[in-house]
Amino acid sequence: MSDNQFRQEVRDFLQANLSTELRRAGELMTSVFADFDATMKWHRILYKQGWVAPDWPAEYGGTGWSLSQRYIFQEECKLANAPALLPMGLQMLGPMLIRYGTDEQKAHYLPKILSGDDVWCQGYSEPGAGSDLASLSTSATPDGDDYLINGSKIWTSYAQHANKIFCLVRTSREGRPQQGISFILVDMSSPGIKVDPIVGLDGRVEQCQVFFDDVRVPAKNLVGEVNQGWTVAKYLLEFERGGHNFTIDHKKQIAKLRKQVAGEVNARGMPRFEDQVFISKLAAVEIDALALEYTELRIKGALEAGQNPGALSSMTKVIGTEVGQRFNELSVEAMGLLVAPYQDHALSPAYDGDHIGPDYGLTTMAEYINNRASTIYGGTAEIQRDIIAKHVLGI
Amino acid sequence: MHINYTEEQQMLRDSADKFLRDNYSFEHRQAVIKSGSGYSSAMWQSFAELGWLALPFEEEQGGFDWGALEIMLLSEKLGRYQVIEPFLETVLLAGGLLQAGNNQYLKDTRIGSLIDGSEQAAFAYAEGGCSLPAGKVKTTARETADGYILSGTKTVVYNGPAADFFIVSACLNGQKDNLVLLLVPADSAGLSRKNYLTYDGRHASELQLNNVEVKRNCLLADPLNSHAVICDVMQKAIIAVCAESLGAMEALLEATVEYTSQRKQFGQPIARFQVLRHRMADMFMELELSRSLLMAAAWHVDQRSDQADKLLAALKARVGKAGRFVSQNAIQLHGGIGVTDELNVGHYFKRLTIIENLFGSRDYHLSDYGKLSA
Repeated sequence: MSDNQFRQEVRDFLQANLSTELRRAGELMTSVFADFDATMKWHRILYKQGWVAPDWPAEYGGTGWSLSQRYIFQEECKLANAPALLPMGLQMLGPMLIRYGTDEQKAHYLPKILSGDDVWCQGYSEPGAGSDLASLSTSATPDGDDYLINGSKIWTSYAQHANKIFCLVRTSREGRPQQGISFILVDMSSPGIKVDPIVGLDGRVEQCQVFFDDVRVPAKNLVGEVNQGWTVAKYLLEFERGGHNFTIDHKKQIAKLRKQVAGEVNARGMPRFEDQVFISKLAAVEIDALALEYTELRIKGALEAGQNPGALSSMTKVIGTEVGQRFNELSVEAMGLLVAPYQDHALSPAYDGDHIGPDYGLTTMAEYINNRASTIYGGTAEIQRDIIAKHVLGI
Repeated sequence: MHINYTEEQQMLRDSADKFLRDNYSFEHRQAVIKSGSGYSSAMWQSFAELGWLALPFEEEQGGFDWGALEIMLLSEKLGRYQVIEPFLETVLLAGGLLQAGNNQYLKDTRIGSLIDGSEQAAFAYAEGGCSLPAGKVKTTARETADGYILSGTKTVVYNGPAADFFIVSACLNGQKDNLVLLLVPADSAGLSRKNYLTYDGRHASELQLNNVEVKRNCLLADPLNSHAVICDVMQKAIIAVCAESLGAMEALLEATVEYTSQRKQFGQPIARFQVLRHRMADMFMELELSRSLLMAAAWHVDQRSDQADKLLAALKARVGKAGRFVSQNAIQLHGGIGVTDELNVGHYFKRLTIIENLFGSRDYHLSDYGKLSA
């Protein structure tokens, strides 16, 4: 099948299956997460179609698509405003289990990630261990055939919805800090777990702090060898940092900015499309996005040719998030004072009443605020630059 | 440049700092916002007792006749302590317009109740994306035998929900250069408002004016003096929001230095890392460059100097850049905790983002500066 035929097939599927309400949920996204109920509804539709995990090997439930086809699928979904699927199971834990899990673990967990029966969250960061993740102190102590877990995890996205959590825990205090870390799977209904929501700057809850008080977990829930969790975690972080396609996000941002430019005036009342200062600022960011797009295509080309793109992947998270933030800034500028009204209720996909200002400005301020976190999570922009200096430039 | 503040000015600055430090905690602020009332009436009465509400009015109206320097000293503290009470909206904008206009009847009947804190007011000027107070308006005031009939829509009217009266900009008889300012009581027939919370913790309204009858004696400024009246008020308003920004930036820099000095990663305080040290040094320089222009602009406004408008354009453009840089980096250096509702850092960030879009953006003032320098 040619790429064009494939694209058409995806479009036909989206046309038939992506309802107006689901598209609205995608349109109203103000962070990397969409409305939870809409997300899971879309997840199950894709699961039924067999398209929920295109990046997984076919024998585990993947689609067997080429890299190009996977890219086309992502692009079409995003441009059609499909709600983004939760990455914790599909993008993070799944590939990791496929690589490091036992046959029993794969058979037990993978099908439920695909079906959406299990909703996973990620227990990595701790109040005292963020950029310096290896200093984490949540402990897992052997007790018979089990471990007892004590400590706390923070910035666990959607822990309030999750029924499972994968965690990095300390199983040894000997040697380098990295050497005493293990990777373990925990049921959120275990006695001793408490979830505290963290209210974000937009007034919504996406993050939580999870507390563990003598939480009993069977030893068979360890993934990989004991004290080898750091290797597993690094593999997973690569997926979190390098696996994302920023160009598609940027295209969505550019499409919205074009609507704002077409519909808005500047403070003097001059149409934005005649405002040369604004247009050239927008062009400058678009050019950086274009340069990143070709960089991502080079990476894709290398992968297709069976080569390791290495150094290039390290920069996509830094540039991708920073370009995204600059688009957010321009969006705020384009809307001007109209960003001021706080209309949380109107950001729910089910809401069909009136709101203040044009529809294309409804999410602008929340997106700007929430995207400040994009240069913090998954390795800060400062840490990423350090990685480039150290591992790419060798300094 | 060295400004020797008078004893009175120093007292204003120090007493404002002390009062707000003792009485205006972040927890208090957040509780007031969550209560949905927009601001605390008790706090507003305290402001009246402290004399702050009388600050810019002439002595014959019962005011202190204080100028841009005093507004700067007080507003800096309002910014630092994240005060949401509508000092800008009621006193500086609506009150300022009453003061700058030449309608003695309105001065005599309205200013007293602003000074004693019994009335609230708002300036309704923005329409859609047009948010310059002296800019284009579509709202019309049609002249009749005994006054005006006002029709139009005003957007993002800060302090609209609490306002007892509005100052509304409109074009007279639909002629676009004939800008007038009218005082409209909030209970006028045909006036309706849709109220909402704003991202920076204030309350605002969309204002619908549907054939609102306004008496002739409520004309605050006619087409001949409306621009001068608005420009006079804008000078003080720009000083106020830039001083507020400066107070916010000071607090952000202090919080960031403190946090990075105690937060340990990789076995040391993160403030030891050069990339963060340099970032904070840059934040400091942004802040001090802004302060220099703020002091210069305030001084020139008080001197009624012909350099004032150029300095104000420079100031607003400079503070727009600095506010964005300092607040974005304060969040970045705080990490995850910086984007939570429980820490004050993000709330400064949201206010600075709104101020960037108030009374002309950075781009607007850059182009204004270019014109004034040519």
